[in-house]
Amino acid sequence: MSETIKFMSKVTLKWKGITVSGRYINEIGDFIIIKLDNGYNMSFKKDGIEIIEALEPDAQFENNNHKKVNGNKVGGVVIIGTGGTIASYVDYKTGAVKPLKNFQEALFNSEELETLGNIEDEILFNIFSEDMEPDHWIEMARKAYERMKEGKALVFAHGTDTMSFSASALSFMIENNHYPIIFTGSQRSSDRPSSDAYFNLKGAIKLAATSDLGDVSVVMHSDMSDDFLSIHKGVRVRKMHTSRRDAFKSINDIELGRIDSMLNIKLNDNYRKIKRENDMILYDKFEKMVSLIYYYPGMDKEIFYKQIDKSKGSIIAGTGLGHIKNEFVHYLSQYRDEKIIGVTSQCLYGSVNLNVYSTGRNMLSAGLIPLKDMLPETAYVKLGFLLGNFEFQRAKELLNTDMRGEISDRRTN
Amino acid sequence: MRSLTDAQTDVRIGLEIHFQLKGEKLFCRCPTEGKGNKLGSFWRKLRAVSGEVSSVDKAAVMEMEKEREFHYEITDNSCLVEFDEEPPHTPNGENIDAAIKASLLLNCKIVDALNFMRKIVIDGSNTSGFQRTAIVGINGYFEHGNKKIGISTVCLEEEASRKIDEKDNKIYYSLERLGIPLIEVSTSPDISSPKEAREVAKNLGMLIRRIGKIQRDVDSIRQDLNISINGGNRVEIKGVQSLSAIETVLENEIKRQKSLIDISQILKQRGLNQDDIRIEFIDIAHEAIKWNSNIIRKGIEQGNKIFIFKLPKLKGLLKNGNYRLGKELADRLRVIGIGGMIHSDELPAYGINESMISWIRQILNLEENDAFGIIAIPESKSALVKNILEERVAQSLDGVPAETRAAIGDETRFMRPLPGSSRMYPETDIPLIIITKEMLEKNIKDLPKGVDERIKMLESLGIPKQEAMVSLDLGLDEIIEEIVKKYGNPTVASSFINRVRPKEKDKEKLNIIFNLLNQGKIPKEALDTLYQYPEKLEELITSSKQTPQLENRIREIVQARRELILERGENAFKPIMGEVMKEMRGKLEGQIISKIVRDEIDKIIHEK
Repeated sequence: MSETIKFMSKVTLKWKGITVSGRYINEIGDFIIIKLDNGYNMSFKKDGIEIIEALEPDAQFENNNHKKVNGNKVGGVVIIGTGGTIASYVDYKTGAVKPLKNFQEALFNSEELETLGNIEDEILFNIFSEDMEPDHWIEMARKAYERMKEGKALVFAHGTDTMSFSASALSFMIENNHYPIIFTGSQRSSDRPSSDAYFNLKGAIKLAATSDLGDVSVVMHSDMSDDFLSIHKGVRVRKMHTSRRDAFKSINDIELGRIDSMLNIKLNDNYRKIKRENDMILYDKFEKMVSLIYYYPGMDKEIFYKQIDKSKGSIIAGTGLGHIKNEFVHYLSQYRDEKIIGVTSQCLYGSVNLNVYSTGRNMLSAGLIPLKDMLPETAYVKLGFLLGNFEFQRAKELLNTDMRGEISDRRTN
Repeated sequence: MRSLTDAQTDVRIGLEIHFQLKGEKLFCRCPTEGKGNKLGSFWRKLRAVSGEVSSVDKAAVMEMEKEREFHYEITDNSCLVEFDEEPPHTPNGENIDAAIKASLLLNCKIVDALNFMRKIVIDGSNTSGFQRTAIVGINGYFEHGNKKIGISTVCLEEEASRKIDEKDNKIYYSLERLGIPLIEVSTSPDISSPKEAREVAKNLGMLIRRIGKIQRDVDSIRQDLNISINGGNRVEIKGVQSLSAIETVLENEIKRQKSLIDISQILKQRGLNQDDIRIEFIDIAHEAIKWNSNIIRKGIEQGNKIFIFKLPKLKGLLKNGNYRLGKELADRLRVIGIGGMIHSDELPAYGINESMISWIRQILNLEENDAFGIIAIPESKSALVKNILEERVAQSLDGVPAETRAAIGDETRFMRPLPGSSRMYPETDIPLIIITKEMLEKNIKDLPKGVDERIKMLESLGIPKQEAMVSLDLGLDEIIEEIVKKYGNPTVASSFINRVRPKEKDKEKLNIIFNLLNQGKIPKEALDTLYQYPEKLEELITSSKQTPQLENRIREIVQARRELILERGENAFKPIMGEVMKEMRGKLEGQIISKIVRDEIDKIIHEK
């Protein structure tokens, strides 16, 4: 059927003895979907209908709501689209949410953008965040570096699932960035009137355009209301809820600041100020043979050992203060001088401490590196970054040394 | 020329009736009825978005102009789904069954699968900015007497939030109602009078309530109407709260539409053209400040301009008998938060006298048939206000504009232009729900009987026909049936239940008191008291256990008046009965008391 009928063609069909007409949308399995004149879609089982007539679609249904916004002036902000909900739309053919080709216009009309400054947009990828790979991080870091050389601040519109990984990756890969690099996303797609995309993106743009924030950051809703956005340090943030607007939380650190509904920015004093006296440095390599292993009671040793054996370095998310069972510890000790194995905690909140129990002390003697209060995901990204860009011994030293505010010995809450 | 008002008016009315279902909400597992606890709040903004066919909906944009903040009160029967913080869950199967049954009762064709759609509504009443809705049945009919009323669709949709308050740019909603399943029945515009509309709504309601699970509260059934008369466009009227209001609202709306058609004829006679309609503002604040007009002085104090403008050829049509175009203009401005427009048909008033009027007419260079308006607004709003006024004046040439209006009391008020179909797009979080043969067959098997058959069935239980009909209208037939089947007393039970209109929670109480009645432990006179003051139930049950003691006590009272009986014989009954009743009222049935008293008196007389 679909080969002969085009999207939005006017069709008339016979079904259950009555005549129904509407516009052809698509087919799903055994069903053909028609949009009635009152706007409703209706599904008809294909074997129960007879198509009487199908006309060509009118020109009025061509997509015409996208127009290009202003240009390439010096200064200002570049929004880099990478995909995800914030840059998604409803595909009416399949009914699924798909990434936009030009997301900027779907979010703002040009007047709204102009009030925020000189904005450009660029689509780098069109992928969901679960499809992000280290190669994408490298491409994003290179893009950011290149655009900062032109004097631009950056806003990455990113899927929320792995946004904290990407933000961590860029934190490490660019040293001494000269302009803000802000990540934002949305938990409700922008085709909805209630989408959080508008406020998140406006806040991120304002922050990128006007602040001296040096930490690669994530800007998302602070709570269920549209009253505040929270600014999180990229290496300290984690998605802590599957669906809420305020899913992102700073872990083991206070937020860097907040943005209110009038887009007033208030930064706390725990952020790194941008200094342009020193050069920016780009580290655009990443060691992919690094693993992040979540330990659990009953974990099979074959499974565990295989992951360790295959990896050049591993991050273990251990129980409580950072433990894994003693049986495994002995096996790991053979890799003391060959692999880097770091230890973080599944608790997320608080610091690893391998001095309290005998298991922990055994882990230390086996050469495992306790990573204090670093998040497991941040530690994984950091290890890949270190093994990609530094020689073994240096990488090992740096792993539990604070580089971008990702690790600390002092916690106040 | 003959005025249209005198012509035979051809009225076409369609109804949209909503029935709330009881049980679980449609897209989450919250109960439809909460305990009334408030658990916090949050607020949001909503934004118009592109529709499926790439045109931002006019109706939605209109709301957008208001720049409103929506505040939501969290209730104990709402969860992350209502907060728009979690995707909708699969709809509850019982709700789908109820909608299928409603469609079957209305002779509809049942769809092969449900496609839930998002209908953009950005007045804040839905936290998501859209209402989820799906067609369940189409092309049905409803037999109203000898007439067939077409049923265009039966939909299953979610209820909106209840508005609590509105202050400045903030609207307050409670989430209690949001997500309650609704069956929406839309008739074709086959109804030809307001009276018929009320009757159809009533009878249709009785039929749909046969499904059960329908909320009976006053608030739970709302009607939307659409009406057009010959020469006019279709107007939708939202939120008519009662059956009796349907008739009056429609009568007033017909009057309004007729007058608008009259006005369009007059304007054509006066030679008004679309091209002449250009509203130009002249600021007269510098002059008007000298006038003794509170409304104008207040406007100036608030930093507004005082604009006057010509309303071409509208003299005597703005406010004059049935002609109320001034109100139509004011209603349009109210939507964007602007009030207080004054027009020349209501002058002199507001401290504006004849000499000021002629000064204005001169400044605006008005001709005989021209009217004028005065408005106090900030400069920043002037372009928008001009556009809105021009648009409405231009529409007056066409007669009745197609629009959505709200029922306010017996009248209607402009809400927004009639929404287009472009405000619908698919709800991507809910996959197609296939209506299987098994589902259909199950619902056909469980389909409740029609109203006539139902009344006959109730009559067969001994319930009077009149009470049976009332009970169906009130949706109380099931509870009456239950009580009568268990405890008999069909006449007493049906009239009592129809009168007190019990809610779900009162069912247990009914069971207890009719059980007691059935066992003869309480008199029927006690039903009201007991129903109203259930705490007396305990007392009564205790006292009913004491029946033998009570009977002895009656005999005692009679014996104590032995002398009176000996003196007056049977004539002593009345005063003694009075004495006894003082003590026994409500404790024993009157007939029983009087029998004991009579027996006892007889005994004394015969002892003599």
